[in-house]
Amino acid sequence: MKKLLNSLALLFVLVAANLAFAEVAVIVHPSLGVDSLTEDDVSRLFLGKAKSFPGGAQAVPINQNEGSASRDKFNEAVCKKNASQYKAYWSQLVFTGKGTPPKDGGDDAAVKSLIAANPNMIGYVDSSVVDASVKVVYKIP
Amino acid sequence: MKKISSNRKKNHLALAIALLLTASLATAADVNFSGFLSVGGGMVDDEDAVGYGGYDEDDLTFDRNLLGLQVTGQVNEKVTATAQLIARSNNDYQVDAEWAYLSWQANDSIKVRAGRLRTPFYMYSDFLDVGYSYTWITPPQEVYYLPFNNVDGVDIYLTGTVGIFDTSLQAYFGSFTDELTFSGAIADAETRNQMGLSGTIGKDWWTLRAAYHQADLTVDVTGSPLSATTTIGSFANTLRALGFGNNADRLLVEEDDVTFTEVGLNIDTGRFVAAAEHVEFDPGDALLSKNIREYVMAGVRAGDWLFHVTASKAKDEVSHPETGIPVGQALPVVGSTNVLIGTLQAIAQSQVVERDVLTFGTRWDVTTGTAIKFQFDDVDSPDVVLPTGTISGQQKVFSVAVQTVF
Repeated sequence: MKKLLNSLALLFVLVAANLAFAEVAVIVHPSLGVDSLTEDDVSRLFLGKAKSFPGGAQAVPINQNEGSASRDKFNEAVCKKNASQYKAYWSQLVFTGKGTPPKDGGDDAAVKSLIAANPNMIGYVDSSVVDASVKVVYKIP
Repeated sequence: MKKISSNRKKNHLALAIALLLTASLATAADVNFSGFLSVGGGMVDDEDAVGYGGYDEDDLTFDRNLLGLQVTGQVNEKVTATAQLIARSNNDYQVDAEWAYLSWQANDSIKVRAGRLRTPFYMYSDFLDVGYSYTWITPPQEVYYLPFNNVDGVDIYLTGTVGIFDTSLQAYFGSFTDELTFSGAIADAETRNQMGLSGTIGKDWWTLRAAYHQADLTVDVTGSPLSATTTIGSFANTLRALGFGNNADRLLVEEDDVTFTEVGLNIDTGRFVAAAEHVEFDPGDALLSKNIREYVMAGVRAGDWLFHVTASKAKDEVSHPETGIPVGQALPVVGSTNVLIGTLQAIAQSQVVERDVLTFGTRWDVTTGTAIKFQFDDVDSPDVVLPTGTISGQQKVFSVAVQTVF
C-alpha cells in the first residue's frame, strides 16, 4: 500500500512537473515598449488580423515549426485552432494575396534567439527556455 | 477552341506578369511558392436521370482534378507580384493564369491591386479552387454558378478594426472577356464597366458579408440553336422583320445592365461550423432569368472529422421577353403572334433553374495539409420533358476528393 502511495506521489510530482514545463510564454524583444498583451492581442497578430503592437510598433509574428509541442499548444489555446484548422485558415488568405502566415522560426531555442535579436518580432516558447534576452508579454497557463 | 482577340491580349498580360516573376526569381529576390491540389471523382445513382455536378455516369469517374501553383515575388518592400497558375482536368490540363496581379501595400490597412483578380462575388470566391480551405468538395453549385470568376482591373482592399469588430472592404473596377456555354452552344461573353463592392464584419467565431456588383453584360447567344434550322439569332431577325424590334432586343444579351447581390454568414466555433448565403442576379432587360439562390450549411467537428449537412435551393424567376406582342394577331409566314409569344416564353423558361439539393458530407483531416472528403447529394428538380421522352429530375450523386495545400 505504501509503495502504491509512493508511486502515486511520484506520478503526481512528474505530472505537475510536466504541466509546469508545458507552460508556453509569448515573448518579445526587451526593448519593446509593451509589457503585456491580452490573449486577443496575441491571437490577432498570429491570425494576421493585426500587423502592429498596441502602441503602433510594427509586429512580425514568428511561429515554431510544424509539429512542435509549443506550436500545437499555442494554436489550440490562443488561436483556438488545431493544426489542420490553422492550415485551412491560412490557406484561405495565402491563395488570395490577402495575407501571409507567420514564418516558421524553428524550435524553442531558435525562436528565442530570433526574438532576442529582432525588436519587431513576437514569438512563443516553452517557458523553461525564457531568460533575460527576451521579455514575456503573455503566458498560456 | 476559339478565343476572341481581346482575351488573348489579357492572357498576354497575365503571362507577362508570370514572366516578370520568373525574372525576379533569377535575381533571387524574396519569392514564395505555394500550391494546392484536388483529385476528385464521382458517380450518379441513375444514369437515365438528369446529371448533376458534372457527373452523369453510374460508374465512378475521376475527372474533377486541378493543380494550382502560386508564385509571389517581392518587388520591393511595398510591392509584390503574384500569379496563380491552374491546370484543370476538364480543360485538358491546359495551364491558365487565373490570377496575375501587382499589389501595393500602401500601409497596414490599405492594399491596391491591378491585374487579373478573383471577383469577390461570394464568401468563398477568393479560395474557390483551394478545396482544402473549406468544408465541401466544392461549394453548393446552386449558389456558386456564375461563369465569370475573374475580372481584369484594379481593386482596393481595406482592413481595419471598428470598435471590437474586424472589418474589411473591397471595391473593384474592371472587365472580363471569355466564352461560356449557352443553351448547349459556345458563346462569346464579356462584361464592361464591371464594378463591385464587398464588405465583411466579424468577431472571433462569426463573419457577416454583403456584396453588390453591376456590369454591362454581353453574351453572343445568336448561335444558340432553337431547332434544326433556326437559331436565336435568326429568330431575332424574324422578330425585327415583323416589327417587334423591342422584343428582339430583349431576346439578345447586348450590353444589358445586370446586377448581382449577395449576403452571407459564416460561423466557426471550433466545435461547430455553419455557413449561409443568399444571392440574386438581376438580368435587367436580358432574357436570362432572375436567379434567386441560397444555401444553409451546418456541421460539427469530432477530432479529425467534420460532418456537415447542406440544404441548397435555386428558385429562378422567368423573364418576359414576349411583353408587348399582341395576342392572337394574324401574321404572314409564321401564322399568328401566338407562335412568337410561345417561342419567346419557351426560350425564357429554358433559362430557369429550379432545384432543391440536400447534401451530406464529411471532411477527414488525414494529416495537416491533406483532407479526404466524401459527399452525397440528393437532387430534386422538375422532370425535363423532351420530344424524345421525359428525363427524371431526381438524382443522387456520390463524390469523393483528396485535397491538399503545400
